[in-house]
Amino acid sequence: MKNLLSKEFRLAASPLAYWFLLAALMTMLPGYPILMSAFFICFGVFHSFQNAREANDILYSVLLPVRKRDIVRAKFAFTCVIQMIGFLLCAILTLVRMTALPHAAAYAGNALMNATPVYLAFVLLIFTGFNLLFVGGFFKTGYKIGMPFLAYGICTALLITVGEALPHLPGLTFLHNPAGERLGVQFAALAIAVLLYAAGTLLAFRKAEQRFERIDL
Amino acid sequence: MAILEVSGLRKQYPAFLLEDVTFSLEPGRIMGLIGRNGAGKTTTLKSIFHLVHPDAGEIRIFGLPMPDKEREIKQRIGYAGGAVDYYKRKKLRDIVAVTRTFYENWDDAAYRKYSAAFSLDENKTPLQLSEGMRVKFSLTLALSHRAELLILDEPTSGLDPVSRAELLDTFLFLKEQGVSILFSTHITTDLEKCADDITYLARGKQIASQPLQAFLAAHGGKSLEEIMVEYEKESLHEKLAE
Repeated sequence: MKNLLSKEFRLAASPLAYWFLLAALMTMLPGYPILMSAFFICFGVFHSFQNAREANDILYSVLLPVRKRDIVRAKFAFTCVIQMIGFLLCAILTLVRMTALPHAAAYAGNALMNATPVYLAFVLLIFTGFNLLFVGGFFKTGYKIGMPFLAYGICTALLITVGEALPHLPGLTFLHNPAGERLGVQFAALAIAVLLYAAGTLLAFRKAEQRFERIDL
Repeated sequence: MAILEVSGLRKQYPAFLLEDVTFSLEPGRIMGLIGRNGAGKTTTLKSIFHLVHPDAGEIRIFGLPMPDKEREIKQRIGYAGGAVDYYKRKKLRDIVAVTRTFYENWDDAAYRKYSAAFSLDENKTPLQLSEGMRVKFSLTLALSHRAELLILDEPTSGLDPVSRAELLDTFLFLKEQGVSILFSTHITTDLEKCADDITYLARGKQIASQPLQAFLAAHGGKSLEEIMVEYEKESLHEKLAE
């Protein structure tokens, strides 16, 4: 497994997977739907899958003395490592916004989502959608990436719309406070998102493992 | 004990049926899997390597059941679908550096030996290699983990006559080293130069599996090409007249 994960980084990964981690900087943008950061972080991983497909990575991998399920596991592990680095960057920048810049005019007058724990929860939900719909969908065939990415794109658009709409709903305007308000509720939402991410990724992995075992290459 | 035993292999596709393929390969022998395009050669090889799932049949390699002992078996065999066609833009050096980590028996000295013998430049990418050189790189990877059995799908297709002759010489050298080889081809002259045994498939059915010389003798000393044409030629004239 360690060797396969190393293979993911050394042979299969696209450099864009690393460059698109910089999308976490979008967390700092005022007047911008900052959840796009999560979309672009996953977009880099999508490029790696595309790169791997064009390099016949799956064929190379199944010829190695490994189990097919380990190939699936390595792809998920690679995806999660990139996502966790992206999440960590988003979390650090959220902390910066909430503690050092809570009263900055750009954020105070921001009509769109501010960086708060609920923002981080939505980042994780977008990652979960990617793992379930894109990575899980990829392993239905081992080569098709178009439809799984479209499904992920639609899911992300819905999540961003919901995320942006929430602070405008009665009783949820506290979500808009750049300094963070009712943090207990917000961290509870983040904790639930963490659980959903873990459960969703595990479910996606289990299904992908079964699907990939069945397909003919 | 046979290195490779295939019995009752069956695979159904919507428009193709491979059925009852049964043969065995003894240690240190070269077997050609022959048949025209679409006869079922690639499906047979992919089934052996667990790349496709047969509907029926049993495959044992080194006496071990495939796919139950897949990892142990793959440590000891090399598979190449002709020329290397993965990571075409990565340097050979990088592909080797990753590949070697998967094999318990990886032998750097053997890698250097074959790499030098085949004049492989580690700083090149597969994209910069000719078809023949990519087949040789594929073989180098297999031989560097001391594969005892090589399974090759159409390794000589697309090669110029000199590269083909070199590759067949390599097969004979490897046979002397005790390596068993199963390779598919529709180029009959390749088999006549190096194969000990043949397994002949036509339209998904096995026509024969026996020593090459016995097969030729049973057909009145005709060449493989003549025998194949006799079996497979469809009477276009009759079809057109219908």
